[in-house]
This record gives sequence, structure tokens and C-alpha cells, in this order.
Amino acid sequence: MPEAALELRGLTKHFGASVTVGPIDLIVRQGEFVTLLGPSGCGKTTTLNMIGGFVTPDAGGIHLAGSPVETLPPWRRDLGIVFQDYALFPHRTVAENIGFGLRMRRVGRAEIARRVYEAMQLVRLDGLGDRRPGQLSGGQRQRVALARALVIRPSLLLLDEPLSNLDLKLREEMRIEISTLQRRLGIAALFVTHDQEEALTMSDRIAVMRGGRIEQLGSAREIYEAPASAFVAGFIGSTNLIRGSVIAPRQPGGTVRVDTGAGPAMIPIVGDLPDGGAVLLMIRPERLKLASPGAAPEGTNAWSAQVVRTIYLGGRMEVRLRLRDGGTAIAYAVNEGETDWDEGEMVDAWFRPRDAWVIPGPAEDSDAQATNCLR
Amino acid sequence: MSRKILWSVVALIYAFMLAPILITAAVSFNAVERSYFPPRGFSLHWWSMAMTPQWTGPFLFSLKLAALSAVATAVLGLPLALALRWPSFRGRGTLQALTLGPLVLPSLVTGIALLQFLTLAGVGNWIGLPALVIGHVVICLPFMVRTLSISLDSIPINAEIAAASLGASRLRVLIEVTLPLARSGGGAGMIFAFISSFDDVNLALFVARPGQTPLTVQIMQFLEYGFSPTLAALSIISLLVPLALVALFGRLVGIGNFIYQDHGHA
Amino acid sequence: MKPQGSAYLLAAFPAAFLLLFFALPILLLLSTSMLKSEDMVPIAQLTTANFSTLLTKKLYVDAILRTIGIGVAVGALVVVLGYPVAYTLVRTQSRWQPVLVALALSPLLASVIVRTYGWWVLLNHDGPINNFLLAMGVISAPLRMLPSTAVIIVGLAHALLPYGVLTIMAALNGVNPNLERAAMSLGAGRVRTFVSVTLPLTASGVIGGFLLAFGVAIGAYATPAILGGPGTQTMATLIYSFMMTLLDWSLGSAMGVILLASSFVVLALIMLAGRRSES
Repeated sequence: MPEAALELRGLTKHFGASVTVGPIDLIVRQGEFVTLLGPSGCGKTTTLNMIGGFVTPDAGGIHLAGSPVETLPPWRRDLGIVFQDYALFPHRTVAENIGFGLRMRRVGRAEIARRVYEAMQLVRLDGLGDRRPGQLSGGQRQRVALARALVIRPSLLLLDEPLSNLDLKLREEMRIEISTLQRRLGIAALFVTHDQEEALTMSDRIAVMRGGRIEQLGSAREIYEAPASAFVAGFIGSTNLIRGSVIAPRQPGGTVRVDTGAGPAMIPIVGDLPDGGAVLLMIRPERLKLASPGAAPEGTNAWSAQVVRTIYLGGRMEVRLRLRDGGTAIAYAVNEGETDWDEGEMVDAWFRPRDAWVIPGPAEDSDAQATNCLR
Repeated sequence: MSRKILWSVVALIYAFMLAPILITAAVSFNAVERSYFPPRGFSLHWWSMAMTPQWTGPFLFSLKLAALSAVATAVLGLPLALALRWPSFRGRGTLQALTLGPLVLPSLVTGIALLQFLTLAGVGNWIGLPALVIGHVVICLPFMVRTLSISLDSIPINAEIAAASLGASRLRVLIEVTLPLARSGGGAGMIFAFISSFDDVNLALFVARPGQTPLTVQIMQFLEYGFSPTLAALSIISLLVPLALVALFGRLVGIGNFIYQDHGHA
Repeated sequence: MKPQGSAYLLAAFPAAFLLLFFALPILLLLSTSMLKSEDMVPIAQLTTANFSTLLTKKLYVDAILRTIGIGVAVGALVVVLGYPVAYTLVRTQSRWQPVLVALALSPLLASVIVRTYGWWVLLNHDGPINNFLLAMGVISAPLRMLPSTAVIIVGLAHALLPYGVLTIMAALNGVNPNLERAAMSLGAGRVRTFVSVTLPLTASGVIGGFLLAFGVAIGAYATPAILGGPGTQTMATLIYSFMMTLLDWSLGSAMGVILLASSFVVLALIMLAGRRSES
């Protein structure tokens, strides 16, 4: 098996007595695109700075392509970094910016010219080599920063929220462009963002960070459909989290029964659920369906609920429901032009057992909008 | 490693910056009539010498001069800064050059020019306090206009338009909105003017007269006959005045910022 | 009233003040420098003798060249010593940073006399440096460090250092720290990062600090008067003796004009150099 492009082992940094980032363990495989996702202050930028060599970790190891680098200065680490503000040298031309890393590596003049030219073609900047960064648009600057980081053929590409300064349309284009480029070059990348959509569209794997630690590491699908905590569930997409307790851990057919204030639910067994243990039941709004009272399909969980509001969103309807215990839930109904739910109407809100997910542990009130703030 | 080297270099430069002042302070406590360092013995003799009328006279005169100069600079600087706010009018460039001119000229040159002008204009009896105030106002006006302009620029022009739309007259807008907002710049400019006037040697050398001599010039004249620890005590006293002023108004960093922006733009 | 009108109204008094007490005296100075003086007072007789005297007599030419030399050396010292301080103050994350900034700027509050007197104490023939070297047996007789041009340079550089720190700090504050990180991540060590990124981006502050120190240094009177002597005359000390001792105002004015001109020439040279390097 080839060496991992990046391996972090117990990487830790303390800020004062109370704030700590880490310990962080993470592996980025060759050619893989991994995203550190989390709210601002969750420690993702500190992690990036430790990998880059700008912040000295208090404990733990960093391996790049198999060799330890935690004691090396930034200029010996062979990383390509794209900064949030691009950090283009304003007193140098585009071509000089892109060629800077090659010059530092004492590459020959002709070779530099050739590789800079190639890099500029790669990011579609042909003919702009003599411009200064100040004369470029935001998207063009982004491309120069990318070319400058890629042209040195680094063992790892670090991207620190590189899209956050672009407007929405450009951002969506650049997402595709960066991940296409990364795949084509087969270069490993670690991407830092607080934007869940960016993380979902670009990553092979996502590490959701909170309070200085990685809360969950997995593919986009795993993170979305099987979140490890209420925080992860709430941070990615919208979701219904309903408190309940496990009544009968083992039912025939490999299901458990969970009682909630809105009604009972049968769901597949996941892990070890103690009898009477407090859990959160997660149902994504697009998995929660509506039917007239009594019309829910056989073998599904159906709860009686009242429509409080419907919001027309074009392709779908957002229906806000009041559950039996007074709690609220949201359901997305695909707009097929047929059903329409009136406000005040009683309905059955139903979901298949496999469309619910159980998050063990008692609910923390703060979990839904947890933002544990760090620097 | 290289960080340690940088910090040691910086520590040495700080020692270079502060040592002479600390040495001066120490010398003033000498018990013998020489400027020994480290001081031999301890006495307040030189401090009591510094409190005699030979020195308290110029000291009080310097305070009066500095206060008058600061007020006069503000009185002239405010209308100038307000006028220069108009984006364009005939003669604006000339007015600006006239305002900033003294900044480019060595104040010593301004001093000899003023000396000749007042003498040849037949008002040689202005030499002394009036000439000193005039000279210091000329030197300090550029700074006053700069600091005022910076705080006036920070006022959203909308604030004034809003006040006008609420029915305030031009004068009311000036008094109720513009002037309160200009206070920080005006204050910094006045402190700057006070300290510049209090510390000035180059201009005061030429337009002082016996009986109307600031402390700095008195010290320079005394130096022609030799050094004495009294001078050390006087130096420290004259350092304490600006220090107390700045501490009182907590503006050191504020003034620093103004000087900053000054040369940042230059 | 038209807005222009109120601008004129506001500016009228201060403008008159500046015209009367600044512009007019300077014009007068320019003209008396070309007049002959009798008993202190210039008389209406055009002459270039003042300038030819000042520009040919060795004593005066030496003083002019010495002053410019002092200005250049002081400017260079202020920039070289001010840079590391400014860099540290801008980049440090120490919580003492505000204190360190205040400490670096505090000498600005002291009169040049205070800042110069300490050097006299330190360097005079029976000051601590001489006493120390004598006690150590390094020297057998006190060194004569005063008066000398070198000590004038040190004294002025010391007095003007805070200006250098300020201007360079202002320039450094405009440099995004990520630029240095970017250079390092691309393989540039600390020195190369400084030379190829930080220094070029702060050139304006370096030039500004140099010019400011140069301009103040060549016009300074107190420091050369205290630390110098008859053999180390500068333009400023000569102007003082022309005006106040010899009472030859025309010669004093002419020297004043030369002082003015030298500061403008250096200003122009540097601006020219700046423009060339930009294009």
C-alpha cells in the first residue's frame, strides 16, 4: 500500500488554559480530497496552520508522504497552499507569482517558463502572464493562486476557504473546476471550509470538526445519512431531531422500538441500544412524507400531525407540522402538482423504518445549534 | 533560532533608545558637581538648583507658550480643515500647499525668516512671546489640519445631510454634528502642538529675547558655559510635562496613529 | 450662499496668517540671501557674494558636505535600526505589544536636548565608557569621543529613531502576513521571504523614514551644538552664528537657502529613483 499523502497523529495545540485544538487523527490518502468542515472557530484553520508549519503543535505528529515534518520549517514541507485571500504578491506579475516556487527550487529558466505556461493553460489564464494581480478579477486571482500552488507539484494541496471571497455563481463554477483539476492531476488535497454545500460537492471524505476535535469522519453520504451526533446532523442540511427513549431493544425482524412524544417508531437496530436509554430520532425532511389520516402505507411509522404552514419553494413544498406533543417538524413534499396541504389540516406524517436514524445519548439542549467557539 | 536573534537585536535597539534618557535621570542625583554615571552618592541638590528662579522662570514661560500655541493652532486650524473639506474650489491647491509648506521646511529656516521679517517690518518688539507663538503656530498647523481632516473624514457626510434634512441650519449642523466629531482629531492636534512648542529649539533660538526665553533655549545658552547635573534634572522635568500630558489624556497611541497615517500617505 | 463662498470665508483668516507669517518671510529670506548686509540689516544691493563665499570657502563647503553626510548617515541608521523594531512590533502576538509600541515612541515626547544630554554624559572624557575602559586597562588615557561628527550622527539617529519605527510600521501594517506565509510555503526561507516579498512591499516606508530623518537631521541645531565643536560645524550651527553672533543676516539667509535646497534635492532624487524603479 502506498504511503498516505498526509497523516496526523494526535496533533494538539493549546491556546491558554481553556482552549485546545485536538488531539486530531486524520489520514489523507494519495489522490484523495478530504474536507475539514466546521463552524468558524472550530479549529480547522489552526489545524491547517500546523500542517503548513506556521503554528507549532504542542503534541502529536505530522507525516507527509510517509516522512515526519513537524520539526521542518514551512519552506521544507513541499506543500501547495491556496490562501483565503489568495496572498498573491502584488509587486510581481502573474507569471512571476506562479513561477515563484520554481525559482526557489532553483529550476532552470527555460523549464520555469515552460511549466508556468502549462500551469496557466491548466487554469485557463493564457495570455495574462504579464498582468499584475491588482488587474485581475476575483476568479482570475483564485486561478493564479491555484496555479502557483500546483506548479511546484506538491505532495499535498492545502486549501483554506479559497472560495469564500467569490460571489455565488463563480463559487459554484470554481467548486467543479477545482475538484476536476484535483482529480485529473491525482493530487491529494485537504480543504477547509465552513460551507456544507462545498464540502458535499467536492469531497471524497469529510471531517466534521467541533470544539477543536473531529466529530465525525466519513463520506458525504455517511455524514448526511448516519451522523454520529446531533451536532453533525444539525450542521449538514436541515433535519428533524425528536427526543425519545428505547422501549424494547430487540424486536423480531431486527428492529427496536423508540417512543417519542409524537408517537412510537420502529427502526432498524444500530449498535448497542440499552433499554430505556435516551436517544434522538433523526428524520430528514425529504424522508418525512404526508398522507391523509389513515392513508399511510403499511409497515411504516405514521404519526398524526397538524399542518401549521406550507411554504411554496418551486420544486418542492416545505410543510411545517405540529406533532402530537406540540413539537414541530418539517417535511419537504415534491411539487407534483397534485396534492396540496391546507394550513390547519390534520395529516399522517409517515416514514419508513430505514429512513430514520438513531443518535444515542441524551439530548443536549445546545446541540442543535452547537457552535463551540475557538479561535 | 532566527526569532531569538531578531528579539535580541530588538532588545539592543530598545536599550539604545532608552539608555540615554535613563542615564540622564540617574545623573541628576549625583552628590558631586560632575555629571558622573553611575552617580556618586545621592543628593537632591541639583533638583533644588533646578527649582530656583533662574530655571522656574523659563519653565513657566515654556508652559505658557505651549498652551497659547496649542490654542491658537486649534483656532486657526479648524476653519482651515473645514475649508479644505470642500472637494474643489479655485485656489484649493494653493491653500493646501500653503498649509503643508511648513512641514517640508526645516523649522530653523522658518525661524530665521520670521526673525528678519518681523525686524524689517518694524515690529521687532514682537520678538519674544508673540513671535514664538506665531512661529509655533506656523510649524504645528500642518499637523493640526492633518489630524482634524482625519477625524472629519471619518464623519459620514450623511450624518450632516441627515441633520440638515431634519431642519438644522448650516451653523447648527456645524455645532451639533461636525464639531463634536472633530474633537478627537483636534485634541490630538493640540497635544501635539503643545509638546512641539514645549520641546522646540530650532525656531525659538532665533525669536526669543531675554526675559521671554523658553526652557530649551535657556538650557542651550547655559550649555555654552559647561555642563552641570542641574541640566540633567531640568531635562527630566521637561520630559515629565509631555509625559504627564499624554498620560492624562491617554492619547499616546492616538497621536502615534495620527503621525502614522500622515507618513503612511506621504 | 454657494458652498465655495463658505470655503473662502472659512479659509480667509488662516490663509492670511500663513501668507503673512510664513510665505512672506520665506520670500524675504530668499531675497535677502541675494542682498548685501551692512550692520546686520540687508541693504538694497543685489549680490551673489553670499553664495560664492559659502560655496567656495573650505570651512563652509566642509560644513555643507558634513551636514549632508550626517543627514544621509542618520537616515540610513534610522531605517536600519528602525526596521527590526517595527517588524517585531507589527508581527508579534505578545500581549505586551502596546507597551512596547508606547516605549518605542515615548522618546518623541522628550526634547532633543534630553535625548542628546545622555550621550554627552556617556561619552565625555570622564564618562562611564572612558572610566570603564581605563579601569579595564584597555586604554591608558581617556578617549576623546567628543566633539566628533560620528557622535553627532549617533545622537541624531537616536533622537529620530521613533520616526523611522513609525513610518516603517505603517508600511508593514499594509502587508498581508499571508504573503510571507505563501512565500515560505513555496520554498523561500526567512531571509529570501524578507528580501523578495516583505522588503519590496515596504520600500515606501523605508524611503519615507529615510527622508524624514534626513530632513530633520540636516536642520537640527541642538545635537550638533551639544555633541559637536568648532571642528564639526554644520549648516544649522553656522546659521546660528551668522544670525546671532556675527549678525550677518544675508549670509545666514543664504545658508538657509542652501539648507532648503539640499533637502529639496534629496527629495527630488529619491522621488526620481522611485519612479524609475516603478516603470
